[in-house]
Amino acid sequence: MNQARVLYHMVRADFLERVRRYSFLLTLAFAAYLAWGAATGRVVLRLDEYRGVFNSAWLGSMMTVVGTMFISLVGFYIVKNAILRDEQTRVGRILASTPMSRLLYTLAKSLSNFAVLTLMIAVLAMTALLMQFTHAEDTHYHLGTLLAPFLWVGIPAMAVTAAVAVLFETLPILRGGVGNVIYVFVWVGALAVSDKKGIDDYAGFFVIAHSMQTALKKVNPAYNNDFALNIGDSALVTKRFLWTGVDWTAAIIWHRMLWVLIALAIAGVASLFFHRFDPARAWSLRRKKPAAPASANGDALAAGPAAEGRALGTSGGHLTPLGPEARENRFWQLVVSELRLMLQGQRWWWYVVALGLLIASVASPTLEARSVVIAVAWLWPTLVWSQMGARESRFATESLIFSSARTLNRQLPAVWVAGFIVTMLTGGGYGIRLLTSTDWRGLLAWFAGALFIPSLALALGTLSGTSKPFEATYTVWWYLGPLNHAPGFDFVGSVAATRNPLFYVASSAVLMTAAYFGRRVRMAYV
Amino acid sequence: MQLVIDGVSKRYSGGNWALKGFTLELKPGGLGLLGPNGAGKTTLMSILATITRATEGRVTWNGRDVASHPDELRAVLGFLPQDFGVYPNLNVVEFLEYLAAVKGLDAATSRRRIDELLNLVNLTDVRKRPLGGYSGGMKQRVGIAQALLNDPQLLIVDEPTAGLDPEERVRFRNLLSDLSGVRIVILSTHIVSDVEATATDIALIAQGTLVAHASPEDLLRRVEGKVWEWVLPSAELNAAKQKYLISNTSRRSDGVHARVLADAPPDGAQPVTPNLEDAYLFCLSHHRAGVAA
Repeated sequence: MNQARVLYHMVRADFLERVRRYSFLLTLAFAAYLAWGAATGRVVLRLDEYRGVFNSAWLGSMMTVVGTMFISLVGFYIVKNAILRDEQTRVGRILASTPMSRLLYTLAKSLSNFAVLTLMIAVLAMTALLMQFTHAEDTHYHLGTLLAPFLWVGIPAMAVTAAVAVLFETLPILRGGVGNVIYVFVWVGALAVSDKKGIDDYAGFFVIAHSMQTALKKVNPAYNNDFALNIGDSALVTKRFLWTGVDWTAAIIWHRMLWVLIALAIAGVASLFFHRFDPARAWSLRRKKPAAPASANGDALAAGPAAEGRALGTSGGHLTPLGPEARENRFWQLVVSELRLMLQGQRWWWYVVALGLLIASVASPTLEARSVVIAVAWLWPTLVWSQMGARESRFATESLIFSSARTLNRQLPAVWVAGFIVTMLTGGGYGIRLLTSTDWRGLLAWFAGALFIPSLALALGTLSGTSKPFEATYTVWWYLGPLNHAPGFDFVGSVAATRNPLFYVASSAVLMTAAYFGRRVRMAYV
Repeated sequence: MQLVIDGVSKRYSGGNWALKGFTLELKPGGLGLLGPNGAGKTTLMSILATITRATEGRVTWNGRDVASHPDELRAVLGFLPQDFGVYPNLNVVEFLEYLAAVKGLDAATSRRRIDELLNLVNLTDVRKRPLGGYSGGMKQRVGIAQALLNDPQLLIVDEPTAGLDPEERVRFRNLLSDLSGVRIVILSTHIVSDVEATATDIALIAQGTLVAHASPEDLLRRVEGKVWEWVLPSAELNAAKQKYLISNTSRRSDGVHARVLADAPPDGAQPVTPNLEDAYLFCLSHHRAGVAA
């Protein structure tokens, strides 16, 4: 069988396995939601107070920008499980025993990711066509003009996103929660760098922006180059202008195709790090301190001749009967256990950094410095919080935990309390400072934030069964709110103008309720 | 102490019935739940362990409906699932301490109990090693230890010897046998020898229904005079398999020695003492014949 045929079948099988899962419906739902947002004016591409006439060029480009902006971020998290799935299903072990090359595998996974992301882009392309028909601002339909931005901008952006997702999965340090957090910064950084330098970004945002800005300048020379993708703020648009689309020159197309080549190169680099399902390698990559290998017969019965002589269950053991009082409800003991479990495996330097941030948040002389320190202090435990509610599913301990008494009313609240304690401890320095300076409003906002973080983590973890949604959502929220003080997103409330403690207290209550019912649904009995 | 399974059925999405009208009453002792793969054993275990709900019928523990009062059973339940995970960064003590807290045990009791259990399952020497480095057999023993944490009155073990080497399997059978005196122990497996060594009662399950519930002696009596040893040339073995139910074969210098289950013996066959595997195959084949008819 030639390599192309092998590649085709690997991509096909992986793609079919994905699209036949119920979770794929959520993926399509997300694309449909984006399309709905754009079609109903909730997501608006705006140049100062202008938007383009809804012709084929504008709608195709607008939907492409919406798609590449959101899908290059959210889509990454959707597809970053291609290798993990082969591990979980144990299909990887079978593949590893075949002549399949590493390059072929990472390439196949990248292409499968790409197919999923392209399908999402296709939903937006169809919506663009429908929008032109329903809005009827311009009844001249130019299919080529409408689809060109999807082809030259959307496709390369998805190719890069797909390959980067595979690269993250193969790099030991990035395959888990750290990678999920770091990708947000990579994504923001990539856009920021290309914005400042004016270079072609992989999401293709600025190819389209530059063309639109040039066109509007001809209509209104006073135009200030403002270019924004707004969510829920369509009132800012009061004027329209005619834009006939990007002039897809050979140079632009070459630049865009370079990103496809870059994506292929990324898939190639990923193959260098791919562990090929070698359990020894996979294990050593996950752990800082590899465990001593199990003995030749694979067992600790191998603990030596003395251990061999002790029969399991007969001569070596004695079990003291337990009375009913030994099984009484001990909530705080469970909280301590959950807290230990949460912090287990953290290296010494994790505590040193957390302590440093705690001290810095008390000692920082200015409000500006303190607001940055508290923001960082509440980013640091992201991977600790992200395990909340998802740990049982991730490590397949649900059957052990859920068959214990009063799990819903004891264990779930204990997880939340443990998460809240982590929040209070890591952000406590800032709270003490607010207390000593009798800044009661600030203290209330900070406390609301401390309630909100574990509630968000527990709700997303319980509902999704994975840590990824919290890691992605929280990092983006943190970037917008505590770091950049975007109104509505600042759950720390270090700046008085963007505080909204009541919203976050109410949100915490809603999220806790969602977590409770989410867990309730997962359990057969409550 | 009484567990009653009353007409329990389970239908999964897609309309597949994994269990149909399963009824059984259990008192202290060891029950071996035997059945082929896909018979519904794991589904029944999951229902009894309050992991999943029955579609029809009910389960009662000491007269109380488990669906309405699951915690009453959970407080005294030990469950070793067929597939379960561990937290790879914890060592066995930390993992058991955590589960002891989830089960509501106090710290002093937990510590004492965990020491005893580690000794029992022979993991004391590796108690500080992270669970992520354990082999399959070692993880299985962690599973056994966690199931015994709360000194359960009802112990449910689903395919417990999977992953254990022959020596460990023997040890685990002995342990189950010891435990079943004062509690209800349900052992689900498709390995007849596991049941033979541990169970005081056997329930045969096939296609989601109860085929037989009897003591091992009763089951053996059912095949008394129906098991034969037949020596035949190797070339005739395939034809014999088409005609008779053969539970075992062994090749020797005089030909193939086939163990045949039949009401009337083949020509030249000699009667032999039946074993539990013969009884199991006999009951299953009768059940299948009845279903087919």
